[in-house]
Amino acid sequence: MNVEATGLAQTAFTGRKKLSFKSVLREAGIGLALVALVIIFSVTTEHFLTANNITNILTQVTINLVLAVGMTFVILIGGIDLSVGSLLALCAVVAGKAISLDVGVPMAISLAVLAAVLAGTVCGLLNGAISAFWALPSFIITLGMLNVARGAALHISDARTIYSFPSEFNAFGSMTLYGIPVVFLVALMLALLAWFVLTRTVFGRLLYGLGNSEEAVRLAGHSVFWCKVAAFTICGFTAGIAAIIYMARLNISSPIAGVGFELNAIAAVIIGGTSLSGGRGSVLGTLLGAFIIGVLANGLILLGLSDFMRQMITGVVIIVAVILDHYRAKYTRN
Amino acid sequence: MDIVQTREASQGQTDNQETLQDISPDILTVRDLHKNFGGVKALKGVSLSLRAGEVHALVGENGAGKSTLIKILTGVFQPSAGDILLDGQVYKPAGPRDAKFRGIQVVHQEFNLLPHLSVAENISFEQMPRTRLGLLDKKEMDRRARVALDAIGLQDVDVNARVYSLGIAHRQLIEIARALQSDSRILILDEPTATLTDRETDRLFNIVAAIRAQGVTVVFVSHHLNEVFANCDRVTVLRSGETIVTEEISETSPDQLVALMVGRRLAKEMALEKTTTELGSVALSLQNFRVAKSPYEEGVSFDLRYGEILGIAGLVGAGRTELLRGIFGIDPVASGQMMREGTPVSFASPREAIKSGIGFVTEDRKDEGLILDMAIAANVALAALEKVSQKGLLNRLAELSLADRLGSMLKLKSGGLSDRAASLSGGNQQKVVIAKWLARDPSVLLLDEPTRGVDVGAKAEIYAIMRSLAQKGVAMLVVSSELPELITLCDRILVLSDHRVQGEIPREAFSEEAILRLAYQRKDQGI
Repeated sequence: MNVEATGLAQTAFTGRKKLSFKSVLREAGIGLALVALVIIFSVTTEHFLTANNITNILTQVTINLVLAVGMTFVILIGGIDLSVGSLLALCAVVAGKAISLDVGVPMAISLAVLAAVLAGTVCGLLNGAISAFWALPSFIITLGMLNVARGAALHISDARTIYSFPSEFNAFGSMTLYGIPVVFLVALMLALLAWFVLTRTVFGRLLYGLGNSEEAVRLAGHSVFWCKVAAFTICGFTAGIAAIIYMARLNISSPIAGVGFELNAIAAVIIGGTSLSGGRGSVLGTLLGAFIIGVLANGLILLGLSDFMRQMITGVVIIVAVILDHYRAKYTRN
Repeated sequence: MDIVQTREASQGQTDNQETLQDISPDILTVRDLHKNFGGVKALKGVSLSLRAGEVHALVGENGAGKSTLIKILTGVFQPSAGDILLDGQVYKPAGPRDAKFRGIQVVHQEFNLLPHLSVAENISFEQMPRTRLGLLDKKEMDRRARVALDAIGLQDVDVNARVYSLGIAHRQLIEIARALQSDSRILILDEPTATLTDRETDRLFNIVAAIRAQGVTVVFVSHHLNEVFANCDRVTVLRSGETIVTEEISETSPDQLVALMVGRRLAKEMALEKTTTELGSVALSLQNFRVAKSPYEEGVSFDLRYGEILGIAGLVGAGRTELLRGIFGIDPVASGQMMREGTPVSFASPREAIKSGIGFVTEDRKDEGLILDMAIAANVALAALEKVSQKGLLNRLAELSLADRLGSMLKLKSGGLSDRAASLSGGNQQKVVIAKWLARDPSVLLLDEPTRGVDVGAKAEIYAIMRSLAQKGVAMLVVSSELPELITLCDRILVLSDHRVQGEIPREAFSEEAILRLAYQRKDQGI
């Protein structure tokens, strides 16, 4: 028994070693690219590697990271969620209404957070339920939701920006801990939680399975429908969290917030090595992907490049990342 | 001719060109071919010659190098060493297109059809006919497709049908029609009959005989030795990347070939027949069970007992797979009743069927049975995740130990349980699928073509597994197109035709003729 157990533990150990070697290889590429970017910007600009700027980058990465973590769930099952940018606006507007209620500051803030998260979660659930129930492409359903949510945000807010939140709420947005923005720590916790769910739970296992072969998962007796719904619901939930962070940072909630955020989130996931056809990828990759986009944006500003140039370069980076991933996937497979 | 590109090739050429042209009727000669993939030696000395107008069988276990050899012949891979002469000239195809241009065609084991295009578009896909204006000539395309289909006896297939709407057997035949369309000198059929029933196989061999009469050389890769002996002129045995022997069919026997293929290992298991065990109580019983596609009210009725292996025979389209899918709750049931241990049940989803102790080894291993990109251990645990988790949290050690236990029970050969399922050979993949269900200790197991695309050695092992399961009292329903398989394994065989039971054959009366006679019959329902 003892011998057997050790043997098994060894298999488990070597198994993990092998797996992590491959996954290291998978993420190493992105990690190296990130390191290269950091070195380039440290050398070419004066202010890149300063405490202030690092705090800046972390703050700028935060919202995209939160959205990208949710997006990872959806892309892993071979779906896509185009609605998160609009959902962010809708959640922010709903929360803005709630926070303006005259019920005392702690209550108003709690209501706002609850409202944002609830709105995001419900919309995500709708995305998932509709596309899973009728087996429709999530691209189309979430494109519809993109318009619905944006319209709803404009309608509820009367197309007006909501200002003047309680100062306690704003303080949360700018609070730092040893120079690290608290909102970033929230995003990081979320990423950690997502990593745990995807790698250590039955649900996470089924999501990877779904992305590879829906039929195999169904025939193994699992409910494909609820897995899909859950993935989209999680994505909507992260849009709610992102909305709260957005409000706390900018002290406004605007119905035109978050335009195009979904594309940045998708880009972070894809740069992070998650396959658009599903079944392959990781939250660690997404984290690195979000950082690449954030560092690139920050560094290019410091270099004094124009908005237009930055946009072009970011686009090129996305394309190059996907090409590199193609070769990396080939290599790690053999 | 190209100036020879490598030294090996030039030696081969100077040595052989003249003699070959003068005395040998060989159309193609492969000499000492090697192919390495990284450190793996897929081919380590394959030699082969093909005569014009012969049907040449290529046999060997999975992993023996047949696919690699075919891929080199068709220009997909370049050999690491060795040379190939086509008509006495060095043949080094730059790619599949070049190989086709030189007249070497292959019909692959995996399907290469475009599911959403029509049959006609698929058949003409390599060379679309054009009108004088350069537009697609649809009439001509349809006409060519009609001719190609008629030539292989597929009069019943509409050229405008979308390929996805056709069954797997028809798709295979359409691939053959496509390959035969262009002028072939050498036609390679890579396990063409794996998915075909006997009637379609006969049809295929009639076609093979016809094209051979036109002087085309046919290379026939198959696990089915009876087909090899019935239709081929010569046979070459490959084992572990080497040519073992090339023999005239008349000078060898199936037993001898099997012995050569597996080397020293003797496939005794193959000869073993199921020892009749005491049958238990009725595990599953169907009464007038009908799936949506079934045209007749009477449907299917039978009792399956614990410890029994019940075979389901029938032609493609007889409703065998549909029956299993209906039982397992994948497709809706139109009418009739199903009883599980005497209690009426109806499964709305596979989930419910699984809960009642049923497992389903599907025909399509790659899409339905396995998640190829996932670890072997994860695949084994896929249907029994609650056994390797607590409150939704996975216990990886438990998962590995489950996979380890079942893997050693089924003699699974793998590099490691954390390797991807795709890294396994066909036979071992099938063992993983079986392990996935055994992880749940099912009391009823449905198996659809359990040894499709599996080599001789693994096949014997899978038979042994099934027999030992029967001894433990598991009730099994086995669909197979290989009659010897059913005859070896089963206690009883039901023959289906048109979604109805055409007849039942008890073990004492088993014979291929008896099964075929029933399969080809149609009930006279006063139509």
